[in-house]
Amino acid sequence: MSVQIILALAVFVGAYVLIATEKVPRITVALVGAALMVIIGATDDHGIFFSENSGIDWNVIFLLLGMMIIVGILQQTGVFEFLAIWAAKRARGRPFIIMVMLVVITAVLSAFLDNVTTVLLIAPVTLLICERLAIPAIPFLIAEVMASNIGGTATLIGDPPNIIIASRGGLSFNDFVVNLAPIIAILLVVFIGLCWLMFRKQLTYDAARVERVMELNEREAIRDVPLLVKALIVLGLVLAGFVLHSVIHLAPAIVALLGAGLLVLITRLETRKIFADVEWETLLFFAGLFIMVGSLVNLGVIAMVGQAATQAVGSNYFGAAGGLLFGSAVFSGIVDNIPYVATLAPLTNDLVQSGGSPAQPLWWALALGADLGGNATAIGASANVVVLGIAKRNGQPISFWTFTKYGLIVTAVTVTLCLPYLWLRYFL
Amino acid sequence: MRASDLQSDLPVVRRDTTALDAARLIAATHLAGLVVADDSGTPLAVVSAVDVLALMLPGYLLDDVSLAGVFDERAAEELWGHAGDHSIGELLDDEHVHVNDLLKVDADATIVEVAALMTDARAQVAQVRGEPGAPAMFLTLSTVMDAILTFCAPLDGPPTA
Repeated sequence: MSVQIILALAVFVGAYVLIATEKVPRITVALVGAALMVIIGATDDHGIFFSENSGIDWNVIFLLLGMMIIVGILQQTGVFEFLAIWAAKRARGRPFIIMVMLVVITAVLSAFLDNVTTVLLIAPVTLLICERLAIPAIPFLIAEVMASNIGGTATLIGDPPNIIIASRGGLSFNDFVVNLAPIIAILLVVFIGLCWLMFRKQLTYDAARVERVMELNEREAIRDVPLLVKALIVLGLVLAGFVLHSVIHLAPAIVALLGAGLLVLITRLETRKIFADVEWETLLFFAGLFIMVGSLVNLGVIAMVGQAATQAVGSNYFGAAGGLLFGSAVFSGIVDNIPYVATLAPLTNDLVQSGGSPAQPLWWALALGADLGGNATAIGASANVVVLGIAKRNGQPISFWTFTKYGLIVTAVTVTLCLPYLWLRYFL
Repeated sequence: MRASDLQSDLPVVRRDTTALDAARLIAATHLAGLVVADDSGTPLAVVSAVDVLALMLPGYLLDDVSLAGVFDERAAEELWGHAGDHSIGELLDDEHVHVNDLLKVDADATIVEVAALMTDARAQVAQVRGEPGAPAMFLTLSTVMDAILTFCAPLDGPPTA
């Protein structure tokens, strides 16, 4: 092993530890790590900007950018708040029915929006509804963020790791829907059952408070009807573009960018509002990660590990899928699943390339493990951290262990159920 | 005209002052910001009146302004029942709230210097440096503007919006 490889591995592992411990902002770690990779000669400008195998994955960056612009505009319409209040009124103030409706709304929205955006939209209105009903919001907030992590697993655009997996594996929007949406639908039903078991004692019904919810006027939440109509039309077109990939042959990133451009054109919003929800730091974080992982690809480290993994797996792809599923769930519960998947994606690609069609389910095992594992702990997913912050600001703090206690149960059940699904669907 | 010519004393609040008491003070004095003092009474920061207003609202309305319209009149009135639940200390600790360190100006600073420093710091209130042990004295935006207006041409008629 050359000195260059040892140095590159040291940079990579060091960056991983710093990202996991959150001692330094993750964007700083990723960019400094990328710079160090350039300094030690593990990559260069051509490798970073133009190499499909070892450079920045522009498909991922621009798909995220396009969706951030579309969702940022859509969330200014108030439609999500309308939906949540409408659901609470349809449930006539019964807490568990409200929880079920909010969980379903959150999971479905999460399949099409990123998880952090979804919980940022749904948490404030949940606090309002719970205040009106004089019930604790904590069970609702925990259930929603977990539903968001589960629902986001169903589609290519639901969770950033899926975007990376799709790009590296050459998988389409429809591939994700066909292979992941069925198990996610089952998991959602099971999750609602778990919510009943975990939270039912905290969901007291007070008939006298119901009127306070029924008096809320959800129509007032919609601030700009023309904007809502335009945003929904464009979102519909973008989703149609994803689904019709095999017909129109446009990459998801191009579809998202065209959609964002069209929305900007027809809404004529101020630039400040258009880009208000673009997380530039997240995009740069992704770029830094791709450079670091690409450096290991350049030096042949990923190929070496891939070869070793291929030999170890042999033709036992069900065993590999199980290992990937549970290993990813454990890792994602502890560290950010984005760097984890960015590292594992090229490795999985090697396994799938060498194994052919029988190895294809490894992609789904990786996605299920990495996405669902985010529910395990309070720091397992960015959305969890965001909800804990909102809860604290609103005087209903959720401790790390309170979240993790429920998270471990939900993760254990949902990830374990994925194993028979993988077996029945791909290996029987 | 120097800073010392315009200075006056101001009421100060502490970490444990409730949002309701702070709001009463703002309503009575029409101040754009309140000086916050530490436990020993030393002025250390300024919170703006709008941040005190935010402290009186439920956090979820600050996270999502579009929810403000969904309340009917009775529900809206009920909200203010919790307006006093929070204290000024929460503003100081909230990383989402920008609390200005207290701007200090020299007693002999000219009105131009004071205006420039307050603008640069976006400060509603500045403390005038005084003798050790002397009571803290301050300048407010309205005092400074009044002083500036004395050097400007008088209006022919009443000010228009």
